[in-house]
Amino acid sequence: MSAATGHALGLRGLTRRYGSFVAVDDVSLEVGQGEFLTLLGPSGSGKTTILMAVAGFVAPSEGAVLLDGQDITPLPPEKRNFGMVFQGYALFPHMTVAENVAFPLRVRGMSRAERDEKVRGALDLVQLAAFAGRLPKQLSGGQQQRVALARALVFDPNLLLLDEPLSALDKKLRAELQEELKALHRRIGRTFINVTHDQEEALSLSDRIAILNHGKLVQAGAPGALYDRPRTRFVADFLGKSNFLEGVVRQPHPGGFMLEAGAAQLVVALPDGEPPPAAGARSLLSLRPEKITVLAEGEAAENIVEGRIVSWAYLGAGFSLRIETAGLGEIRANLPTWRSAFAPAEGLPVRLGWRAEAAVPVAEDVA
Amino acid sequence: MDGTYRPGPFGRSLAWVTALYLVLPILIVIPVALTDQRYLSLPQDGISFRHFETVLTSPEWLGSIWQSFTIAVAATVLSVSAGTLCAIGCWRISRRATELVRVLMLLPLIIPSIVYAIGLYRYFGPLGLLDRFAGVVIAHGVTGIPYVVITVSTALASFDPRLEQAARGMGASLSQTLRWVILPRIAPGIFSGAIFAFIHSWDELVMVLFIASRDVFTLPRRIWDGINENLDPAMAAVAVLLILFTLALLMADRALRRRSEG
Repeated sequence: MSAATGHALGLRGLTRRYGSFVAVDDVSLEVGQGEFLTLLGPSGSGKTTILMAVAGFVAPSEGAVLLDGQDITPLPPEKRNFGMVFQGYALFPHMTVAENVAFPLRVRGMSRAERDEKVRGALDLVQLAAFAGRLPKQLSGGQQQRVALARALVFDPNLLLLDEPLSALDKKLRAELQEELKALHRRIGRTFINVTHDQEEALSLSDRIAILNHGKLVQAGAPGALYDRPRTRFVADFLGKSNFLEGVVRQPHPGGFMLEAGAAQLVVALPDGEPPPAAGARSLLSLRPEKITVLAEGEAAENIVEGRIVSWAYLGAGFSLRIETAGLGEIRANLPTWRSAFAPAEGLPVRLGWRAEAAVPVAEDVA
Repeated sequence: MDGTYRPGPFGRSLAWVTALYLVLPILIVIPVALTDQRYLSLPQDGISFRHFETVLTSPEWLGSIWQSFTIAVAATVLSVSAGTLCAIGCWRISRRATELVRVLMLLPLIIPSIVYAIGLYRYFGPLGLLDRFAGVVIAHGVTGIPYVVITVSTALASFDPRLEQAARGMGASLSQTLRWVILPRIAPGIFSGAIFAFIHSWDELVMVLFIASRDVFTLPRRIWDGINENLDPAMAAVAVLLILFTLALLMADRALRRRSEG
């Protein structure tokens, strides 16, 4: 397999309607050469339909799919040369592992000797050379998944499409295969497009994530950028957990503003170049639970809110607290357990603090 | 299954009685076939294989067996090709209209065969298909289609459509997908359908009575005539041979299913 021969994919105004239902609504997206892009969204968000349109199994109602700038929309799936790992893997149950992996080569009329060599290479790549003679049902879920990967890669596809590739596996195995998948992507340098509803998988695997909701592209970007600077309430809520604080904007200035929320005055800092909202406008802030700390006696912070612990849970690596605050309603905070000085208890009065840049203004979703 | 509650004595005996009731009429021909008398009866002074000998040496009986066999094979080929293509077509298109097609295909099973036979007689006459090998093959082949449509549709219902997508996504053409992915997966269903279509033709009498007379004289027809004309115990011997042959076919079907499931 030759390295670093990724292809670029473009979606231009992709739309797919089923009767009056719009499954995919005017999605435009660029996927760079060798990039690992994840389409993330809840079920029914249109992510699988987009993948199926890229693969050629679903014809778009409008818009185009471009490969390296060339329109491939009218091509049937068998002419696109894309590798695909299906949900549930779709291995041929009547063929051995080696025959499954050889299938795309056999279809292309490749000679037996050449085929055998390629199959061996592909099975080595996923460390399954010893299982070549087995039937799929004699393999574990993780091994089947790797066979599906080998089969999708053996014919040097232009793109690798993955439809919820890890959803059928248990949590531990999933984490293992995530690492393998990531290493594989780095090693072969091809363009990967992955579909998932699992936000952790999306965050850990992808170079870039595109978040979809109701068929629309909501926000796309690097995992860190999406997590730290969500643009809408949906993104903040779907990718990780979030508190939402609503209030009125006061004293806007370059670099930040004050938010009057209930009885509290909150300091909000904005990254360079982001214009502040107008004074008097309503604004919604997203505040990640892990960006909140419980302040010690006499400790200071840019934002301080007092409250009482309503309930708490021990999660191993951290505590999860629900705190009823004076004026801001209920807030969730996550604290690392290594701060052993802190022992949560129901009804315990606490002072919560967070930095000015921790809270991010987000747009309310248009329903 | 282990660990389930067993049926009570009443339920169990009822089940056995029912099973016996179903099987006894079939079993009764066995002693009759072994009779030492010249007429249809139970053995009196001892058992004898002379009637089997009669059947297996008589040119009429052997001719009818051979004719029935060749007709059944040709009819099966017709049923299997048409039924399989129809089932795959309906499965791939799978719209409302295909449901209708599927129901239409089951019609020969629903309509009384005597009604069907009258219809065949009416339009086989002008076509010159009466009392012809081809005519009987067409009649049996067409009425055998439902069995194949049912078994192949059942096999396709458990066929994962993503396998077809996977094959096409990897560059396989429609015919390659059909040959290498779909057909191997539904082969047990096709084989079952073939066995049923074969048996259907092998023991079909009503249509043969209408559309064949002298040149085409199948085995069921010869048994029918034999019973009407004389009570030759050779018929019982033929019946036993038929039962054994049908049993062998059904065992083959079972064995094949078990292999494909195992």
